[in-house]
Amino acid sequence: MDRSNLQALLLLLVLGLFSPLIESLRFELQSGHTKCISEDIKSNSMTVGKYSVVNPNEGFPLPDSHKVTVRVTSSFGNNYHYADQVTTGQFAFVAVEAGDYMACFWAPDHNPQITMTVDFDWRTGVAAKDWSNVAKKGHVDVMELELKKLYETVTSIHEEMYYLRSREEEMQELNSATNNKMFWLSLLSLLICLSVAGLHLWHLKTFFEKKKLI
Amino acid sequence: MDRRKTSWFSTIHTLALVFLGSIICRGSALSISLIERECVSENILHDGDTVSGNFVVMDHDIFWSSDHPGIEFTATSPDGVLMYALKDTSGDKFEFKARESGIYNFCFKNPSSTPETVSFYIHVGHIPNESGFAKHEHLDPVQVKIAELREALEAIISEQRYLKAREARHRHTNESTRRRVVFYTITEYVLFASTSILQVIYIRRLFSKSYVYHRV
Repeated sequence: MDRSNLQALLLLLVLGLFSPLIESLRFELQSGHTKCISEDIKSNSMTVGKYSVVNPNEGFPLPDSHKVTVRVTSSFGNNYHYADQVTTGQFAFVAVEAGDYMACFWAPDHNPQITMTVDFDWRTGVAAKDWSNVAKKGHVDVMELELKKLYETVTSIHEEMYYLRSREEEMQELNSATNNKMFWLSLLSLLICLSVAGLHLWHLKTFFEKKKLI
Repeated sequence: MDRRKTSWFSTIHTLALVFLGSIICRGSALSISLIERECVSENILHDGDTVSGNFVVMDHDIFWSSDHPGIEFTATSPDGVLMYALKDTSGDKFEFKARESGIYNFCFKNPSSTPETVSFYIHVGHIPNESGFAKHEHLDPVQVKIAELREALEAIISEQRYLKAREARHRHTNESTRRRVVFYTITEYVLFASTSILQVIYIRRLFSKSYVYHRV
């Protein structure tokens, strides 16, 4: 009882210690410019994002000009996160609408134009799940946790396959509809050409007959 | 005394296992708007890691000219050594082994003036090996196997994301084709009809009384 408790405690401690080591994507943002990053998120999947401005001088405090404004919106325009003039922050939500979610970073104007590096970590689905919580709740050991993670990954791959298959089916239908449309439209074009030419000739004939030239 | 020793060994063992387990191989799948040059950096923690990924340029509506010439992609190590370079491509996969740890730069360059949307995915995979362990700790082969299994799964995920991005691009192209087909044929009908009507009007004018009187 004592040993397992100690093990669980150590597990938590080490997971807590080592999670900040998980690095993320960095990009540069110039003052006065906006950079937007978008990601396609399926419905009912958890998504977690962490952003922070990288300190160019280690040990010194971050200068005041190094602040960003962040906004996370869905493809329908709903706002999911907004932070004004911050150096670090995070957001987490369950994506109700499927589609492209956009995280926009805006750096305020500064007279000598500065370029700051923003560290951004955006995870969705399996990677966003809080595994330390799962370990704490179920009193699972490390091996089982790893295998659980692998199982969830495989399930998500399977679901993604279904999605790709349905998209391919939609594309096939779209292509055959386009094919059909092209056929009917060219047939219609031929009919219109012939009928316009016919009308043209008939009209001119009656015109000249009226003018008593024929 | 003996029990305490085994308890400490087991905690150190757990520590080692947890350290291995928490090296979560991460990947980031994002799409950015590429105006002229965009760089993304990723911090790679261990040398010997395999960096793999892919990128696809989203198609934009092209009405008149031929297909987009493609973009340029470069991957640079922290020393400035070029690790991978691709030119004039609309989407490709890449993979290389990181010879040192540090911040690697992945840059996209757009030669044309129109902004493009690039959807990319970068994955850094790490398989634990003997280095980085103190003498009394040992590497559990099961953990290595689990790491290899995870890497194989991540390769599948990477391929899936590539296929998804390419499918999105093809869908975009197909929808654009459909719209253009309808637009061009309707324009064709309108042009036919208007040409014919203009011809009729011109001929009527040629034979109208005012014209005949003014010809002499």
